[in-house]
Amino acid sequence: MIRRLIAFFLLSMLMLPMASAVDSTVSWTQENTPAWDYDFSDGYISTAPLYIDEKILVRTSGSSNPSVTALSVEGTFLWRHSNPNSTNNDMSPLLPVSAGEGACGAWPELVLVGWTDGVLEALHPGNGTVYWSVQTEVVGWGITGAGSVFEGHVFYPTRQGLGMYCMADGSQQWWTETGLGWRNGVTLTDSAAYVGDESGTLWRIDSTGEAYALASFEGKIRHAPLISQAGILVHVQSSMDSTVFVLHNETGLVLQQFTAGPSPALPVIMDDVVVLSDSESIHFLLCRDTCALESQIPFHSNGEIGINRQGNIVIPSNTPNSNWAHIVHQNGSNAVLESLDVGLYGYGTAAPLWFRIGSVNYTVFGDDQSVLKVFQNLPSDEILESNDFDWSTQSFLFATYLLLGSSAVFFLNGRRDLFVRTSSLLLVLVLLLLLPDVTQLWSSEVNEVFEETSEADEWDENWPDTWLGTQIVVFQFAEGEQAIGGLVGHQDVLSLTQSAVDDFDFSMTVEQTSIGAYISSINGIQGEGWEFYVDGSKGVLSADTTAIDSTTIVRWTPV
Amino acid sequence: MFQAMGTHGPVLSPLASLVLDVLLLGSAFWLLAKPSQRPVMDSLILLTLVASVSLLRVVMQPLPNVQPVTVAALLVGAQLGARRGAAFAVLVTMISNFFIGDGWWTLFQAAGWASVAVAGSRLSLVTPSGLNVRRAVFASLAAAVWFDVVVSLSILDGTIGPVGFLVYLLHGLPFDALHMAGNFAFVVWMGSWFTGLLEEEPALDEIEFAVVNSHGIDG
Repeated sequence: MIRRLIAFFLLSMLMLPMASAVDSTVSWTQENTPAWDYDFSDGYISTAPLYIDEKILVRTSGSSNPSVTALSVEGTFLWRHSNPNSTNNDMSPLLPVSAGEGACGAWPELVLVGWTDGVLEALHPGNGTVYWSVQTEVVGWGITGAGSVFEGHVFYPTRQGLGMYCMADGSQQWWTETGLGWRNGVTLTDSAAYVGDESGTLWRIDSTGEAYALASFEGKIRHAPLISQAGILVHVQSSMDSTVFVLHNETGLVLQQFTAGPSPALPVIMDDVVVLSDSESIHFLLCRDTCALESQIPFHSNGEIGINRQGNIVIPSNTPNSNWAHIVHQNGSNAVLESLDVGLYGYGTAAPLWFRIGSVNYTVFGDDQSVLKVFQNLPSDEILESNDFDWSTQSFLFATYLLLGSSAVFFLNGRRDLFVRTSSLLLVLVLLLLLPDVTQLWSSEVNEVFEETSEADEWDENWPDTWLGTQIVVFQFAEGEQAIGGLVGHQDVLSLTQSAVDDFDFSMTVEQTSIGAYISSINGIQGEGWEFYVDGSKGVLSADTTAIDSTTIVRWTPV
Repeated sequence: MFQAMGTHGPVLSPLASLVLDVLLLGSAFWLLAKPSQRPVMDSLILLTLVASVSLLRVVMQPLPNVQPVTVAALLVGAQLGARRGAAFAVLVTMISNFFIGDGWWTLFQAAGWASVAVAGSRLSLVTPSGLNVRRAVFASLAAAVWFDVVVSLSILDGTIGPVGFLVYLLHGLPFDALHMAGNFAFVVWMGSWFTGLLEEEPALDEIEFAVVNSHGIDG
């Protein structure tokens, strides 16, 4: 009897989440069908596409031709505006502005684009021509954060400060110095602007441009602060983890704090629910008088967080060969994750775009593969006819059920030998599925414990100061070293190396093996392969599973 | 404790590779030839096993650190003895690495699996009633860890200290766990069958001798 009860309990516990996952996956794929793709050939889509003036605008960067491209809703190319001087990854999201009139004059419907070479441009969405343009300061990088519009003015976080510009002609009203920032979006209230920086300082800037440090933390603030009922919320990134702070709006006093995982994403707020993410989990906080953690789901995402019309979360996984997540929740609680296979497999930080034409809802996905995937929902009668069948997922589920069921049956029947056999296969299957995530987490833990034993790679005095505090890649060739710095936001060695290779315009051959990505040649030099060192320590895992800090020196040497 | 990407150990010149291959092949044939010549059929069976397990290893390569060779070496050692077990391990390593990737690590893999085969011959895994599955399971789990440690030694090229090596071993623990789980599955599914396959049938002259000897005693 006890044996039967144990078997029943185990089966129930194991099958519940699977049943939930199956049902929810079917619901999204039945409701949405692929409409068209658009391949931009190179570069990354790092920010959410924008729907404006009946066009889909997509920002691509990290290539030789950083651009904003307009496509029709049918996927036809319309226009492209490029800025070849913006050589780093453009992380500042496109900002739509409705036509209006203010103290400086009138302006048409516009799209504002901040570039990493410090240029801020207002484009006509109809044809991509420049309406006005201003140059902001550049210290290695220029603009990387999100701007915000308020009463005829646009506020943009620049590399070292915050500027207020007239919407009608782009004229600078004031600019105030804060701290060196990256992905440092600005948040506006009726009385002040808030922006964070790379030294962990949260700045409050009043309407005249007067700035003062509201609070200071150990780490980096790489998002626009959130204004909740419970206070100002910032997610501060440290080297190995992060902390969410809730602060008093006026005094900056820390009211609450929560520990979270490494490399935070850009948090979002909807009513009183705050959604945060990092390399380990997605967190839902309910912030009323105080903030309380409502749900937490394991997931790896470090960029934008999308909220669809139903208030559900759609978020890209920033890992190789990964899917997206669709998370349904009730005011932050009872969050259930559904994996979305949208046909994009790889790193991604851009939230999706949603728009509606007539009765058809469109969802647009883009990621680091520089491919845009557009889905549209099907009318209800067509949903019934949809017979898409994901053989790989279903096969896996079938095998799991079969092994699980067989194990339980053999256990109940006292067939110990057969129970052991089926359980052993189930164990191998589960371990194989968990291996990528477990390896990465375990590797991070080991690195944390043994961090002090690693020999820090010596900083080269010939390198520019703007590389300080960024990610640097060094390639060791027979004729000498080639180094590039100022790279940011990369979570693993492969992603960082790919970025460096693109900047140098080198070729790189990556072979996928059972234990990860293997670099067999760089810039045509093959030899016996290449090996890497992270901050002086020899790499012991594959490049795509070796996590890196925000300030890292990766050195590649041919074997 | 696995052959990590980007870490290859010393690079071998073509001549060194040839010497290594000759050394491994020579040791395999020496192990097979001593202490006495084996019948042709006996050798053919062993070579068939070598080819089959090599193919299995190549086919299972997409599954990270699931190593059918470890259990095979253990059981061949247990059933056919240390010499033939070690020869089997060396040949499987050479042939499968010809397809998967040859290098300095081949030496350590061959040594690792050969030592597993030797251990298998000493652990009394096979009894008159067949394979002692419980003992074989524990032996295969230990063999997974032992093999992974031996193979990890290939990264010691003078640039890694004791602490660095320890960190390297710790990084590989999830892969060790998978190796152990794979071994466990192989033993419980195929251990008894594989052992039976290797069971030596007595030769005709041995049967004749036994019968005559028996009659002699009776008489």
